[in-house]
Amino acid sequence: MTTSETMARASAKSSGHTYAPKDGLLLQVADLHVEFHTPDGIARAINGVNFDLYEGQTLAILGESGSGKSVTAQAIMGILDMPPAVIPHGQIRYCGEDLLTMDPEQRRRTRGPEISMVFQDALSSLNPVFPVGWQIAEMFRVHRGMNKSDALERAVKLMQRVQIPAAKERVKAYPHQFSGGMRQRIMIAMAIALDPAVLIADEPTTALDVTVQAQIMALLQELQEERQMGLILITHDLGVVADVADKIAVMYAGRIVERADVFDLYRKPAHPYTKGLLESIPRLDQKGQQLAAIGGLPPNLMRIPNGCAFNPRCKYAQDVCREDRPALLEVVPGRESACHFAEEVLNG
Amino acid sequence: MYKYILRRLLQMIPVLLGSTFIIFAMVFALPGDPTAGMCGERPCAPAFVAKFRLEHNLDDPLPTQYAKYMVNVAQGDLGTNFRGIKVADELKTRYPTTAKLAGMAIIFETIIGVFAGVLAGIRKGRFVDNLVLVSTLFVIAIPIFVIGATLQYYLGVRWKIFPVTVSPEATFYELLLPAFVLGSGSIAYVARLTRTNLVENLRADYVRTAVAKGLTRRRAIGLHTLRNSLIPVVTFIGADFGGLLGGAIVTERIFNIQGVGGYTFSSLHNHDGVAVVGTVTVLVLVFLLANLLVDLLYGVLDPRITHD
Repeated sequence: MTTSETMARASAKSSGHTYAPKDGLLLQVADLHVEFHTPDGIARAINGVNFDLYEGQTLAILGESGSGKSVTAQAIMGILDMPPAVIPHGQIRYCGEDLLTMDPEQRRRTRGPEISMVFQDALSSLNPVFPVGWQIAEMFRVHRGMNKSDALERAVKLMQRVQIPAAKERVKAYPHQFSGGMRQRIMIAMAIALDPAVLIADEPTTALDVTVQAQIMALLQELQEERQMGLILITHDLGVVADVADKIAVMYAGRIVERADVFDLYRKPAHPYTKGLLESIPRLDQKGQQLAAIGGLPPNLMRIPNGCAFNPRCKYAQDVCREDRPALLEVVPGRESACHFAEEVLNG
Repeated sequence: MYKYILRRLLQMIPVLLGSTFIIFAMVFALPGDPTAGMCGERPCAPAFVAKFRLEHNLDDPLPTQYAKYMVNVAQGDLGTNFRGIKVADELKTRYPTTAKLAGMAIIFETIIGVFAGVLAGIRKGRFVDNLVLVSTLFVIAIPIFVIGATLQYYLGVRWKIFPVTVSPEATFYELLLPAFVLGSGSIAYVARLTRTNLVENLRADYVRTAVAKGLTRRRAIGLHTLRNSLIPVVTFIGADFGGLLGGAIVTERIFNIQGVGGYTFSSLHNHDGVAVVGTVTVLVLVFLLANLLVDLLYGVLDPRITHD
């Protein structure tokens, strides 16, 4: 063991983490496949997803319903229902250790202290019959073995940290007694309770109204910077990611079709699907005009088209797109696209 | 909260009045003469019949009879039955036995029903689940007197594991088999209700959160899921207590238990309206109070429910 490794371990121990990242690399998802075996057939939800996540980095995963973004998150978190879900290939390495081959008890211990998750609908994601403070305190009691009153004290501090007014008085309140934004703050407090290295936020603002959305995103960003967490932000909302994310991965039919830095991607998409998404954002200067939309529907995951999965809906599609599936390749430095005509799209 | 309880208690008055009147009227409408068969093989002397009918107000029109009865009840007098025994005294000796029987049935129902339901729910679609589903369907489909008589014959008469009948003392051991028989249908319902609710709640978002929090499966299911799944089950069990008291009529006949059920049956047979109404009124009252208790408990179990 080298000195730097020893030091990394030591600092990991002192911060309560069992694992230490090497060169800041927290998470490596490699060739991940997820299938759902249903009575009607096999739905291929994820078909070879690759990405890395570093400390302090925010990766946005963008895609419409059924693109596989939530399934990716659930696979990382280890909360897929298996069966029906099956992971036939792939690795999810956390600080070098493959979560998929890890002993279940060891993996359970990573949920919360190492990797944690914020869900979309905080009302249904919080247990209706337990007070919110109790639910936050449960993290300390289960993972840290704290007693009830100490854990509850920590819960109050966390509620204050996520800016819940009168946290001390509200610690015994139930989820239904909070507004949507406050509930999501509770979810966030619970997720960051044990200072995880990776935070996955699965559409954290979708159920909220616009003004609250901005507040929640600001809070997430603030916490991420404060704790240097790796943040995976899953969303279908292009507006939400623009301010917060460093990198964006666009998913379609279970694959990443484009990956780039936020500004590059917004300025000039390199994949026809991304281009279509950006064009479909309503703009004030287009008032009175027909809203642009991508024609057709996302593919049935039981029958994903041959070649490029997007080809039936694509303006650029040629014969090659129907036969040959394009790999995710670098178009220009720092930009990857899975399209046979990536350069034309980028420059056109 | 107190307002709510008071309102519920006041609501009981019309329910009690209505139910007693209906029962009174039904006994009144029963065909046949209560004095028939009272004097052995021959008809009773006309003088005796006249005196009997006068004593029990049997010649008054129904509303008058009912009014006279209710005036007595309001003064705390449940009346005297045809055999000259005070109804209140009868009930005092018989209700504890039936309550004990129903209480034991409730315990069976809770323990076996919830246990079987949880087992089936967490192993949905597997062997245990199917076993529970089929066996409960079987129990629900068979009438209670068949279950009672069958178990009495095999466990009592042939294999002599349990006493065949119950003595007037109605000991705990003697009541085991009858309580199981009485509760059998409810055990099946509780098992199915628990299973369905557990299966449904296991898919809930907050259970996914519990797993994502790194809780053990035992804690995620045993605490987070079960707590929510058992709310309707507790409601059912509470409301079932009143049902079991009434349902004890058949079970008490089978095992010769000196409880309320047997008393109601024989009083009904003798057209003894005063006895029937007295017994049933207490039954209705217990039922209403049990329901009130369940509704209050519901608010404790589910914080989203408030009683304002």
